[in-house]
Amino acid sequence: MKKAIIIGRTNVGKTTFMINFADYIGLSKILIKSKYPDGKILNKEFSLHIARKNLISNKAYKTTCLQSISLEIPVYKGSKKVEIIDSSGLCDGIHPNMQIRKSIVQTLENIQNSSILIHIIDLSQSIKDRPEELISEIDRQIIKYGSTRTGYVLLANKIDIKETKEAVDYLKENFSNVLIIPISALYKKGFNEVKKFVINSI
Amino acid sequence: MNKNKYKEILTLYELGKVSLNETFDHIVSKSQKEIKSNDTQKEDDETLEDIMAELYNLVGLKNVKKLVKEIIAFIEIQEKRKKNNLLTEPIVLHMIFRGNPGTGKTTVARILGRIFKKIGVLEKGHLVEIERADLVGEYIGHTALKVKRQVKKALGGILFIDEAYSLARGGEKDFGKEAIDALVKSMEDNKDKLILILAGYEKEMDIFLRTNPGLKSRFPIHIDFKDYTIEELIEIAKIMAKSREYKLSNKAIKKLETILKNKNYEYNSGNARLVRNIIEKAIRKQAVRLQKRKYVTREDLLLLRAEDIGGDDKY
Repeated sequence: MKKAIIIGRTNVGKTTFMINFADYIGLSKILIKSKYPDGKILNKEFSLHIARKNLISNKAYKTTCLQSISLEIPVYKGSKKVEIIDSSGLCDGIHPNMQIRKSIVQTLENIQNSSILIHIIDLSQSIKDRPEELISEIDRQIIKYGSTRTGYVLLANKIDIKETKEAVDYLKENFSNVLIIPISALYKKGFNEVKKFVINSI
Repeated sequence: MNKNKYKEILTLYELGKVSLNETFDHIVSKSQKEIKSNDTQKEDDETLEDIMAELYNLVGLKNVKKLVKEIIAFIEIQEKRKKNNLLTEPIVLHMIFRGNPGTGKTTVARILGRIFKKIGVLEKGHLVEIERADLVGEYIGHTALKVKRQVKKALGGILFIDEAYSLARGGEKDFGKEAIDALVKSMEDNKDKLILILAGYEKEMDIFLRTNPGLKSRFPIHIDFKDYTIEELIEIAKIMAKSREYKLSNKAIKKLETILKNKNYEYNSGNARLVRNIIEKAIRKQAVRLQKRKYVTREDLLLLRAEDIGGDDKY
């Protein structure tokens, strides 16, 4: 099965995107396989409602392991299978917590053997007059890496928040060499395009 | 190696020694390297000097080496003239190789292909080796199709036709003539993508070219492959033995010399190919000789003795 890994800084909406994307595809229950850095694997079945309540938070580093779900996306009369992996957030510099560093290493290991790389950034973090702040150093590096490989997409999340239009324009202007899809993970906006991209990449 | 380094940097990050940004820089540069290495194939590792060295290491063939040098210089200068907006000669590199079998025609053609690829004349530089049967059809209309197919296979490389004179053999009704016409047409059509080399015995090739005057003018480069002298053949034998990790004893060399001298009066004696066959047979004979012994030293395993050299006696 092909793998799609979701990466990005912390609190940009990676887990929200994964759960809502499963919802969008039509799942009512998801089986989440959690792989911890020490090798422990945990399988848990959630209903979407419970999953949202338990896995999503607005605090940094809620997710400290790789959580994956397998999706069957209907394509015409058949379907395509893909494993979507949600990772813990990346941050610039050296994170002081060893546990979190371990989970970041786990993410890095999986970046290379995933055929799809879904990179999410948070538009709401941009400040009106200084759109450069929107993209941190690590995001810039991920985009650079993504432009050298196939199956890379940049999702500009949180378009539901006001005054994010300029930020989207800024992105499209400055990173024209990669595919950018503006979405709202919370309200499932722009998911159709993401679905098309995933289908085309597997 | 690369993978280990990657693991190492991940561990360093885990221990908090390097920042994530540095780690990611590493990933980016690695994936860029991978793309580069995918673009350039393995063969491209060899430089022009390597190939030239290989050519110069061939025994004898002085005139060939000189000519290759000339061609390379010619192409380079034409290129430079082009850059300076001067008139340039079209680079036509179709060739005729004349010489007895075993004088290195195919070997040289193969090396030429690689050289031309390196200096950008040919795209792929591979050698397609064919003979009469691959070109001449069995019924009307079959020949052109066969020729076209072979030419297509050779595009971007060298089409090497061994014993090309045989195309003109067979009289009026033979399809060989048709094959020649089709070849001439396709070599004009694919001037920039294909180099055609006609090879064959000296005398037969001369007659062949005389009877097809249109051909000779289309092949500007003629290379004569002279028969090897006895000294050169001995040198070849030594190199062949060495490359297989064997050594020839002095007596063996003397015996080889007498065999070659007697052979050389015969027409088409085989030249380098004959030497190779003798060496290969000697290796087998040595194996039989050593099998009977109880103790075999390293020196024994290396040495080919006079009794191993046996000419080409038949079984």
